[in-house]
Amino acid sequence: MKQITIISGKGGTGKTTLASSFIKLASSQIAVDCDVDAANLYILLNPSNTKVEKFIGGAKAEVTGNCINCGKCEDLCRFEAISDSLKSIKIDKLKCESCGVCEYICPTQAIELKTEAQGEFYVSDTDICPFVHAKLDPGAENSGLLVTRIRNIAEDLAYANNKDLIIIDGAPGIGCSVIASLNGVDYTFIVTEPTLSGISDFKKIFEVTKFFNIKSFVCVNKFDINLKNTNDIEKFCSKNNIEMLGYIPYDEKVPKNLSDKKIIIDDQSSKAGSEIINIWDKLKNYLYE
Amino acid sequence: MIISVASGKGGTGKTTVAVALAKSINYCQFIDYDVEAPNADLFLKPDIKHVKKITIKQPYFLTDINKSFKVCADFCHYNAVAAINNEVIFFSELCHGCGGCILVGPQGSVREREVEIGEIRKGFSPPGINFLMGDLKPGNMRTTAIQNELEKNIEHDSHVIIDCPPGNSCSMVMAVESSDFCILVTEPTPFGLNDLIISIKVLKNLEIPFGVIINRFGIGNDEVLNYCRSNNIKILSKIPNDLGIAEYYSQGLSLIDFDSAWKDKFINIISEIGKEIPAK
Repeated sequence: MKQITIISGKGGTGKTTLASSFIKLASSQIAVDCDVDAANLYILLNPSNTKVEKFIGGAKAEVTGNCINCGKCEDLCRFEAISDSLKSIKIDKLKCESCGVCEYICPTQAIELKTEAQGEFYVSDTDICPFVHAKLDPGAENSGLLVTRIRNIAEDLAYANNKDLIIIDGAPGIGCSVIASLNGVDYTFIVTEPTLSGISDFKKIFEVTKFFNIKSFVCVNKFDINLKNTNDIEKFCSKNNIEMLGYIPYDEKVPKNLSDKKIIIDDQSSKAGSEIINIWDKLKNYLYE
Repeated sequence: MIISVASGKGGTGKTTVAVALAKSINYCQFIDYDVEAPNADLFLKPDIKHVKKITIKQPYFLTDINKSFKVCADFCHYNAVAAINNEVIFFSELCHGCGGCILVGPQGSVREREVEIGEIRKGFSPPGINFLMGDLKPGNMRTTAIQNELEKNIEHDSHVIIDCPPGNSCSMVMAVESSDFCILVTEPTPFGLNDLIISIKVLKNLEIPFGVIINRFGIGNDEVLNYCRSNNIKILSKIPNDLGIAEYYSQGLSLIDFDSAWKDKFINIISEIGKEIPAK
């Protein structure tokens, strides 16, 4: 069984457009959406028969006992989450990183780490394949933990059903949820665009894939918006031995199909769609070898 | 007045809007809070004068035949420490640097060293933009630790524009938290609408007033427009879908370079926003 994650660094370069197309073109596959705080893949895959489970995130420190305001926890908290107030300490939940140092050091056992539900995750059927997805509560933390959780479910599902491939739609950025979506995968597929921002973020996400020693494939989306920049991406890839799989043209049909909640490769008149099919034909050789 | 520019979905035009705002008022502090993928510097081209390395303390273990570090492994909430017999395996990328293993471990046998997780940079972009950004080092996950450093450098007495990271999780909350008003940038597609609705929930929970700018207006459908209208959400502006704007963007040029008429439009948006902010 192989796993591939679609990432980009910069947001809005076309990760979900590519991921949905690959999911449709693949066989013996399981789909996963790891962009848990802005999940969009479900809009195109139209899940049904969904099984829902609560996601219990990391525990947050809370004053539950008799705080004598000794200040020991405040001195030791490395995240500046604890401050003094008149009678009892105050804990800033947003800054608390659930390390447990305050709970350990408290002489009166006044602090407890308490878990709470921070979202939901789902296993669904779709017309194409099984689909594992999630929704982090608005503004919540521990997106990395939730990503790990749904990836474990997808792996179990793949083994139980003898599937050959897990296709993972990743999040933008290079932080915890992206790293959790890369942990242990065989390949990454990077979608970039020929803008200075796209290139800058591409280089950063490529550094991350190197850090974790994962082979990357690349495509340039909307390559014809700036041919000079596309050329620069090409040079960077050949210098760094990154395999370039294709160049997708700017195509108004992409947002049009998106609005009809349709996967772009199903529109046979779309030039972007036909290039994505070409890219898949090269990529699949690695995924099913 | 602190204005943040956010968007659940990535690539909808946060940086485009934030840069245009800064270039319209000219005298302000600009903070790029998207420390995972910062881009505003490509448009504002600040002269960087100050770089501060951000480090966290991480442990190293002095192993000894008579000592076990099992207590450290048991304590660590991030599973960054594994202890097998008298050996220790430490996973640096999982460690948050809380110092717990030093507290609980055999005395004197767990030491600490500074490990770099990224940096913050300060600079100036003429005529009067004080520029500040954070940059997370690839392979690290401590996004909010870099953002904490940015927060300490907010110039509360001036106008501040904050360019937020995409998404609706803690790093977005950190970025919008201190703002008086948040501009949500979206695009008129089902993806844009889906993520806009989540962002609105975050801002309502935080009680931060907000308005919407619809970018690439003309693509997709009317659902975002209808959603805003039926929920009484203020639409501050619509930026048309225009390949010319995209070409300018691709070269690191702003909306105002593309068409200087946007300057007056953004000044108007700021005075509109001024009316929306409750007096303190």
